[in-house]
Amino acid sequence: MNPFLSAALAAIAALACLLSPVAFAQGKPPVIVTDPSARVYRVAIQRFAGTTEDASARLREKIGTALEFSSLFRPLDPIAFLGADQTPSLDEDLAFACGDWSQIGADALVQGEIRSETKLGIGKSDLVVEFRVRDVARSCRKLIRKRYRGGPDKESEIAKRIADDIVGAFTGSRGVSATEITFVSSRPGNREIFVMDADGGNVRQATHNKSINTFPSWAPDGRSIVYTSYREKRRPGLFLLARGGGSPGRILGGLMGGAPQYRAVFDPEGKRLAVVMSANGAAEIFTVRKDGKRLDRLTENRNIDISPSWSPDGKRIAYVSDRSGAPQIYLMDSDGSNTRRLTFQGAYNTHPAWSPDGRWIAYESRLQGQFDIWLIDPDGAVNFPLVSHPRSDEHPSWSPDSRLLAFSSTRRGRADIFVTDLAGDNIRRLTRSAGDNTNPSWGPYGK
Amino acid sequence: MTVSLDPLNEVRRAEMRRLLLFSTLGHVLVLGLFFALPNPSSAPALPGIISVDLVSAPPGAPAPKPKAAPKPKPQPVPPAPPKPKPPPKPVAKKVVLPTEAPAAIPKPKPAPAKPKEKEVEYDDLLDQLRAEAGEEEPPPEPVKTAAASPVEGGGGRTGVRVPPEVAAWLRDARIHVRNAWVLPPGFRLQPLEAYVAVELDAAGNVIGSPRIERSSGNPWYDESVTRAISKASPLPAPPQAGRWDFVFRPEDSY
Repeated sequence: MNPFLSAALAAIAALACLLSPVAFAQGKPPVIVTDPSARVYRVAIQRFAGTTEDASARLREKIGTALEFSSLFRPLDPIAFLGADQTPSLDEDLAFACGDWSQIGADALVQGEIRSETKLGIGKSDLVVEFRVRDVARSCRKLIRKRYRGGPDKESEIAKRIADDIVGAFTGSRGVSATEITFVSSRPGNREIFVMDADGGNVRQATHNKSINTFPSWAPDGRSIVYTSYREKRRPGLFLLARGGGSPGRILGGLMGGAPQYRAVFDPEGKRLAVVMSANGAAEIFTVRKDGKRLDRLTENRNIDISPSWSPDGKRIAYVSDRSGAPQIYLMDSDGSNTRRLTFQGAYNTHPAWSPDGRWIAYESRLQGQFDIWLIDPDGAVNFPLVSHPRSDEHPSWSPDSRLLAFSSTRRGRADIFVTDLAGDNIRRLTRSAGDNTNPSWGPYGK
Repeated sequence: MTVSLDPLNEVRRAEMRRLLLFSTLGHVLVLGLFFALPNPSSAPALPGIISVDLVSAPPGAPAPKPKAAPKPKPQPVPPAPPKPKPPPKPVAKKVVLPTEAPAAIPKPKPAPAKPKEKEVEYDDLLDQLRAEAGEEEPPPEPVKTAAASPVEGGGGRTGVRVPPEVAAWLRDARIHVRNAWVLPPGFRLQPLEAYVAVELDAAGNVIGSPRIERSSGNPWYDESVTRAISKASPLPAPPQAGRWDFVFRPEDSY
């Protein structure tokens, strides 16, 4: 593991020690456990009852893949099962023996049933999948039982949702395999906005204007994406992509007499946007309501102030300013007051991204011409590199559960979108097609 | 992109009604037990909560969350009474433990050539553990802060002397539980620390559910910790049956 992370963790641990007195049980010294042996739960997934072997094996495979994506679970090979390969039934399972699952080292056991139900009046049939998770360590007690229904084409999505539920049952916040990531790709020849599933599948091109399109960023309800496009008069302006009947197209067009707009991000409530606009020749940060009213200027100087990122409570904004000479990360209240510099290490720090749980601000730091992804806490007390590579890693964006980070990297030549967990050493590539893929923005929990 | 995945409402409602009934009965039962049993600390109301969770799993994800909230809440309550108790206890037991230890030692002593083994200072033991874990600089240990309470009773350093077989067991139990402990990376970047009381029988079997004596503040971290102990059962046979405390504190251990 990387030494910086270790040092940061040691500092955190030492701090924790100082803060906490120990109460001995009956004068006996406690057993102090400091180093968990594993960071992934091992999950046994039975084939679901009520369908063909092929269909149930396929669903098991999909649930397993989605669980692996979480970085928190590893499916056990069914060959190792001592218990039944297929769930007999969710209701009566007289032969069930928890020991069969604890012996093979499973932490979780997933059981389920599938059936297809014909909708009344319509000839179409729906897939109905019901599943249950058992906590093997605790006598296989049942954690959740849930049912999903959807068209036959929804099998993959149902599998992802089941996986996300399982993650939630074990860790408190549901998984993110059923979320989406928007990004910029040059694969059409110019830079267009794309959307893909969080696992890199189901890639869709969202803009087709043959101009330059960049900085896509989700609205917190997941119904729209704001982005910057040079499609009108080759000047940067803000546009909206909307799904499900929203109104797409140019937004906030008349602000400041049509001043160039470089980038916008929604606040966590989706009511206001932080906008980077040109004012007197310098890029400055403003906030404005979605309807263009209540424009407030937050930064006012001759330096460049860009890359705003809201704190999850919407009360603060992290951003980049070069007022000290080189770009550094700063924080301010969302009314522009209480400005303070956050990063002091490194000569060139940009692209802050505040984690949805508020704990960290990810940013990119340039060292000897290459960018690495760093994490710093909002107090500036802990600061360490999470992802570092001889090639550049840029544009960090958090998953909605704050457990994963998407970023773009040139580690394989052209730029691709990658994802890492917070240990920084489980890095996977999401994009695989030609062209540069950059500026990922991870969407919220869906629907 | 818009998806209609409708969990079946009618079924859930029926289930809900049934389970609500069970839940109510369960609560009444638990309440009854609470008052009936002389020792409230031994009754963590976990089973009652499970059935409630199963019902309350709604279409959205937050399903498990309500489960988390109730769990830690009842737990912090029981710790309240024990907390005031420990301060006097350590003082009293501190005297007891050494006397207990010799009582246990005589048995092994005659046979093996163990007399060479000295009683280990708890601090040294911790240093040893740290060395095993590959940690170089021992940070100021919580035991020293722990000493704060013993100090009232007139302790010097930590004052706790650990007989060799206890030291050996602490080490074995630690390894055993560590091997069962799964902690996802996200948690490791947080200063979390949980204290857990565990009842062990003479063979090392965990009796009942491990009890969070002091929550880390994160119910899911607490979950991972009690799950680890349950999974680790049976532990190596302890020097004596009864309550043993575990402190879970992740450090850099990749």
